[in-house]
Amino acid sequence: MTLLEIKNLKKVYTARFSNQQTEALTTVNFSIEAGEFVSIMGESGSGKTTLLNIISTLDDATSGEVFLEGSPLSKIKDKEISAFRRNTLGFIFQDFNLLDNFTIKDNILLPLVLSKTPVKEMEERLMPIVKNLGIEAHIDKFPYEVSGGQKQRVAVARALITQPKIILADEPTGALDSKASQNLMEILKGINEAGQTILMVTHSAQAASFSNRILFIRDGAVYHEIYRGDAPAEQFMDRISKSLKVLSSRGEQDE
Amino acid sequence: MNNRFFSSLALRNIKSNKQLYIPYLLSSITIIMMFYLMASLLDNEFVQERSSSLSPLFVLGTVVIGIFSVIFILYTNSFLIKRRKKEIGLYGILGLEKKHVAKILFFETVFTSILSIAAGLVGGLIFGRLFFMLLNYMVRLPVDIIYSTSSLIVLATVGLFLAIFGITFLYNVSQFTFANPIKLLKGKQEGEKEPKGSIILFILSLVFLAWGYGISVTIPDPLEAITKFFLAVLLVIIGTYLLFISGSIFILKALKKNKQIYYRPGAFISISGMLYRMKQNAVGLANICILASMVIIAVSTTLTIFIGAEETLENRFPYENNMTLFGDVEDVEEMNTRFFELQDRVQNTVNAEGLEVTESESYRYATFFGGVQGNEFVFDESYADQENPTVLMVLPLEDFNGMTGKSYTLDDDAALYYHSTNAYTDSELTLGNKTYRVAEVANEFGEDMDLVESMAIVVPDASHLLEIQEDFKEQYPETNYLTIDAEVGWNTSGTEEQKEALAKQFNGEYGLGAGGSNLYDSRLLQREEWYGMNGGFLFLGIFLGLLFTIGTVLITYFKQVSEGFDDREKFQIMQKVGLDRETIQESTRSQIVWMFVLPIVIATIHVIFAYPIVRKLLLIFGVTNETTWLLSFVGVVIAFAAIYWVIYRLTSKTYYSIVK
Repeated sequence: MTLLEIKNLKKVYTARFSNQQTEALTTVNFSIEAGEFVSIMGESGSGKTTLLNIISTLDDATSGEVFLEGSPLSKIKDKEISAFRRNTLGFIFQDFNLLDNFTIKDNILLPLVLSKTPVKEMEERLMPIVKNLGIEAHIDKFPYEVSGGQKQRVAVARALITQPKIILADEPTGALDSKASQNLMEILKGINEAGQTILMVTHSAQAASFSNRILFIRDGAVYHEIYRGDAPAEQFMDRISKSLKVLSSRGEQDE
Repeated sequence: MNNRFFSSLALRNIKSNKQLYIPYLLSSITIIMMFYLMASLLDNEFVQERSSSLSPLFVLGTVVIGIFSVIFILYTNSFLIKRRKKEIGLYGILGLEKKHVAKILFFETVFTSILSIAAGLVGGLIFGRLFFMLLNYMVRLPVDIIYSTSSLIVLATVGLFLAIFGITFLYNVSQFTFANPIKLLKGKQEGEKEPKGSIILFILSLVFLAWGYGISVTIPDPLEAITKFFLAVLLVIIGTYLLFISGSIFILKALKKNKQIYYRPGAFISISGMLYRMKQNAVGLANICILASMVIIAVSTTLTIFIGAEETLENRFPYENNMTLFGDVEDVEEMNTRFFELQDRVQNTVNAEGLEVTESESYRYATFFGGVQGNEFVFDESYADQENPTVLMVLPLEDFNGMTGKSYTLDDDAALYYHSTNAYTDSELTLGNKTYRVAEVANEFGEDMDLVESMAIVVPDASHLLEIQEDFKEQYPETNYLTIDAEVGWNTSGTEEQKEALAKQFNGEYGLGAGGSNLYDSRLLQREEWYGMNGGFLFLGIFLGLLFTIGTVLITYFKQVSEGFDDREKFQIMQKVGLDRETIQESTRSQIVWMFVLPIVIATIHVIFAYPIVRKLLLIFGVTNETTWLLSFVGVVIAFAAIYWVIYRLTSKTYYSIVK
């Protein structure tokens, strides 16, 4: 089943006081099946973050459309957009975006509280997730009292707790050391294997090697695509590195 | 790099941070203005001349606002510098030495302090003049109260605020001297620990409040009230700060524990947010609470004095015409003759004008000082070297029946008494060499009796007065104070004009200027003067009320703006994970309970407990009507709550527009 479909997506930024236009996305087309773990790779300025922001409904497309389970995101009314984001999407950010004034537990429960979920149900959902992520010992601490890797697992828990259709992760390993990154990616892979669809934007070949499929984006368009298939991790890493190399060298030839 | 470079850099910094500097400058200017206006009142002719208890009250007010200024400016500055840590850390990374950064900060401090002190002084001068003009126009006193100020007060204001800004400079420099640039770059995001509620502080706050309240509730008489008032105010102020700092944390934590309350969108965001910065929050709330109490007390008491003017006049001058007859030390009998002669003379004079005496009262009395010991009243020689605090008035039954319209009869060994503290309950009382069987009566002797501890004793006839005086003379042969005095009061028929003509006639004959051992006072002639004085009080009360209200506006505004900037990032993160605008507004609304209701409620409780001591102070001004005070108190509380509500709504809109 196709979960997410992106058709002819285009985004043009116009400076406020001039006619100069910057094309962040030219034409983007791709789709994601339910249960997939897809990474988007590309260099800085390639349009990855813009693409993710449009899918997250944090930004509007200039033209084209994003369909989630067949219905267009641009048709969601302003009033419903927050509830949509809360209930349908799960977010993981590079700098965690945890709130220091909430305990770990309250940070995770935040989206549920905003949806006015009964207390009993919130607690029932909380325990399995924190146990699964190995943070149950820390739930009464505050974010500034735990390590970066733990913070990111809290963010994962916050994304999972609403049982979203898709998790959108923006450079989730960007602020972590290699050990914590490895650990986090194993967790994301585990979640994916349990049936959760994930779309991740990343710089790191290491992180991307945990996904099933990788889209390479360049100058605002999908440029290349590789599937992992049944290949072992090392072999997949190899293919990713080669693709990245090709991507950057072809770029130089073009110029 | 010379100073010109640093000063222009400093100026540019202020300009480019104007979002932060405008609220900072506005608050500094206003608080300087407040202090300057308050200090100027110390110099005010009215304050200095009206009453000896007024000057110390204004010194207290100035000191309180002075302390307030220090706390407030340090608080606003620390907020400002926290926001700028990143920018200043960047200087370090770009290669400026610490002393260069200190120089930039120095020039920034110089510019902001010069600007705010100058603007505060000019604003204070203009505002003071304008407001005094307006109030003079509104209250219409016989003599205008002039706003005055002196170079000494300007100097004191400049000195105080230069010192405060100096401290902020040192604080800011220390912030950078002890931190490395990388830490500074991240400074804003440093996690702040959730405060722990201290049970000791909480108990201490209750002790201070109970002590302050206790002084007020147990105050025995007005003279004591003046001396203890300052102490009570100070205790309650300290208690309030401690209560807000510790108590609010307890309450918030209790709310947080209650899952049904806490896990709702509005409460979830506001409770955790408030708990997170409770220390700042508590000080802000305590400031608002104290200012609110000051506004309510200042305005409601002066309003009571003003509204109660008519009543005050009636207490001071129970009749339209009042005459006090002073007895002769040498010739005690002379009084008896003069007393009856004068009443005839009054009757004749009134009748000669074609008017009638409609009501009258006259009584003779002797005054002693001393105190009750067991069931004897022990004399002191005079009021000046008094060991016991009680004032005793002895009067004959004839005159008591005449003034009350009652018809008591007394055996030769019987007497009636009134005791202002209601402490005397024995059935016998020894006075001089004679012991009386006594019965208690209500206070028929005027509200003045309750100012200090007093006793009145009604003896069977005037001869007893003389006997008691003989006994007193035996005890103190050298005394100079032994007289029998008398009061005569009467109302007449006739129009205001006729009454005034008559009053002027009596005033010429027996008034203050006429000399002699009789003193005449006309309520009619005194009224104008009384309104002048009491109008002056209302004037000051409204002025102070306005000053403190401005303070409240200032704190509320700054609190909302600074918290808005603090919360902005938080709300942005929450919007990313699905916070909608309605919930933001809901959480703002649930802060109302704290920001709005709490200070007003606690201020009201303060004022209720202040009631006994304020009532005693009001007795000094001759105000005895409790209903007047109660009504003006309720009125002022409602009016202030309404004003504060408007302030709150406006500033919370500012807050919302910052965070959304």
